[in-house]
Amino acid sequence: MKLHLISDFNLETLGHYLENDPSSPKLSVVAEPFGQVFPALLQPSQSSPSDFAVVWTSPEKMVPAFAAALDNIAIGEDGVVSEVQQFADRLRAAQKHFRAIFVVSWTLSPHYRGNGILSLKAGGVRKVLLKMNLTLAQELEDCRGIYLLDGQRWMEEVGTSSYSPKLWYLTKTPFHGNVFRQAVSDLKAAISAVLGTFKKLIVVDLDNTLWDGVVGDLGWENLRLGGHDYLGEAFVDFQRALKSLRNRGILLAIASKNEESVALEALSKHPEMVLRPDDFSAWRINWNDKAANIAELAAELNLGLQSTVFIDDNPVERARVREALPEVYVPEWPDDKTLFASRLRALNCFDSAYVTAEDTSRHQMYATHKQRELLRRGVSSAEDWILSLETEIKVEELSDANCARVVQLLNKTNQMNLATRRLAEAELRAWVRPENRKLWAFRVKDKFGDSGLTGILSLEIESGGAVITDFVLSCRVMGRNVEHAMVAFAAQHCTSLGLRELHANYVPTPKNKPCLSFWMSSGFAYDEKGNRFTWPLTRTYPSPDGISIRQPEAVECNPVHSSERVLVDAETASLKAITN
Amino acid sequence: MSMEGIKPFEPTVKEVSATGSSRLEEVLKVIYESVSELNLQLPEGQRIEKSPAAVLFGAGGKLDSLALANFIVITEQKLDECFGCRVDLTQDDPFSPTTGHFGTIRSLATYVSKLAGIEDSHSRTD
Repeated sequence: MKLHLISDFNLETLGHYLENDPSSPKLSVVAEPFGQVFPALLQPSQSSPSDFAVVWTSPEKMVPAFAAALDNIAIGEDGVVSEVQQFADRLRAAQKHFRAIFVVSWTLSPHYRGNGILSLKAGGVRKVLLKMNLTLAQELEDCRGIYLLDGQRWMEEVGTSSYSPKLWYLTKTPFHGNVFRQAVSDLKAAISAVLGTFKKLIVVDLDNTLWDGVVGDLGWENLRLGGHDYLGEAFVDFQRALKSLRNRGILLAIASKNEESVALEALSKHPEMVLRPDDFSAWRINWNDKAANIAELAAELNLGLQSTVFIDDNPVERARVREALPEVYVPEWPDDKTLFASRLRALNCFDSAYVTAEDTSRHQMYATHKQRELLRRGVSSAEDWILSLETEIKVEELSDANCARVVQLLNKTNQMNLATRRLAEAELRAWVRPENRKLWAFRVKDKFGDSGLTGILSLEIESGGAVITDFVLSCRVMGRNVEHAMVAFAAQHCTSLGLRELHANYVPTPKNKPCLSFWMSSGFAYDEKGNRFTWPLTRTYPSPDGISIRQPEAVECNPVHSSERVLVDAETASLKAITN
Repeated sequence: MSMEGIKPFEPTVKEVSATGSSRLEEVLKVIYESVSELNLQLPEGQRIEKSPAAVLFGAGGKLDSLALANFIVITEQKLDECFGCRVDLTQDDPFSPTTGHFGTIRSLATYVSKLAGIEDSHSRTD
């Protein structure tokens, strides 16, 4: 994976840190000649649309009006805004060269006092800089694929040594290496966010992690949590930090060595408990090995272990889980309990490139999933259970409104994924543009709740037949006959066009065996040699009982944004590389 | 050599041993810590060994001018943190082939000790 460094100062040291960093994804760096920002944006060297770029510039070089402000020359703020807008235009134009561009916000050395008490008044240097960053953020707000990174936070982490005049004069590098180390951490998180490989589940211990004390010994009434007590407040704050992540779509679960009834009573009854049982999507509260419990939790929630974070105050438990489940991320945890909340808030493994409605209501979806499972235990057969769910499917064509979620689902679904194509938004829009291609998104709901946009089926019409290119279904709705309903819908569409056969080409990966199992049971004829499934459209593919399908409505669909039109051809060349 | 701007060596931040020999060893330890930090940003073939004889810059040295500049800044900062001792390692042109105090870790330790006024003629650095 290639990352281009584009800057008006020497970023070679950042390049070395990035290449030496062992964390995933591994990067190879292309350092564009420094001081050549606009030429590099117009025509980066050896670039491919699957590459990433970092654009890190000095405010006084990119915005001449700001340089004047530094020299105490009166400037109009409109002029500053106009120059920032021009810079944003250049970034937008460069979008066609890269999968994503990360732009570092502008900063000033902490040693620079500017105009003293007038710094935040009209024309004051700090006020102008704030306005420049705000304008840039607003300009890039709607640009999917361009992200503004908060450089100021890196400077604050490093402190007064963040800027090094000596390094500047010697090497034209303004920052101390520690600033670049902060940048590496955030850049890796940003790339993981774009690739959809961020963490989605936190499994947390209870005693001395969620509250101070052992509930089995003390009783819930005597736990230190909240109140006029520094430690109680610290634990409340930690729970708030967890809840904030839950509100963002990260699932919470419990792995605790306790009596389940005692622990759940504490969660339900303690008056200052921020997290209640409903906030957790699953739990294993027992005396079993925590590693085994975590593996069970991830399986229950249909998430991979690589999507899981485990938080426990006990270093022995942390070491055990690290050893038994190396894919689970187990952050070192401070002994000082007042640092729990800040440690959690500093973790960068939860960063995502966008937050969809499905993300923010994910915990609710898992709660309804639990209700479904309870119902399943109460009925005599799987067929009866599926019938009792009263499932409704709404089919949509790709549109501006659903594109972000479709791209997210396509890129992060592993199990029920026929071809495991990984495409950026512009690439997907380009793919659906030809008239012989169709893509539908499927929204699923039942009597327990709305699971949201959870399915994708795309197909390409060839002479006399059609080939299903993508067949993707979220694990949230797997095993409820939604799969069969999607295939039936596609078959009906193909029949209406007078086609003779419908094919699906299975591309095996280490993770998509559930998809193969479905297709093996789908009724399609299987050609093992080519991993190809075929249905003769002279026969009607049976729609599953008890599921209603709403046909797609005519939508305002803009398959290719005008700003993206230029990159379509260039990106087509990269499609094969990405899918391979 | 100008000592202007250099704070006298006062082990205010971190107490060091009373003997001059220990002081020089402390300087060497700080340089090794700086080498560890520098190695994080160096390509694999350019990394520096932590030994007094390791060649830094000049003939047979592994550091280019960018790496040397970073090493200087890291070392100055660590000397300040460990000894409360602000030295300017660029006073005598570090990039000049005739200066030579960045030739090896040993020569650098000796130079730093002189610069900070903590030299001990009986000390051994290897």
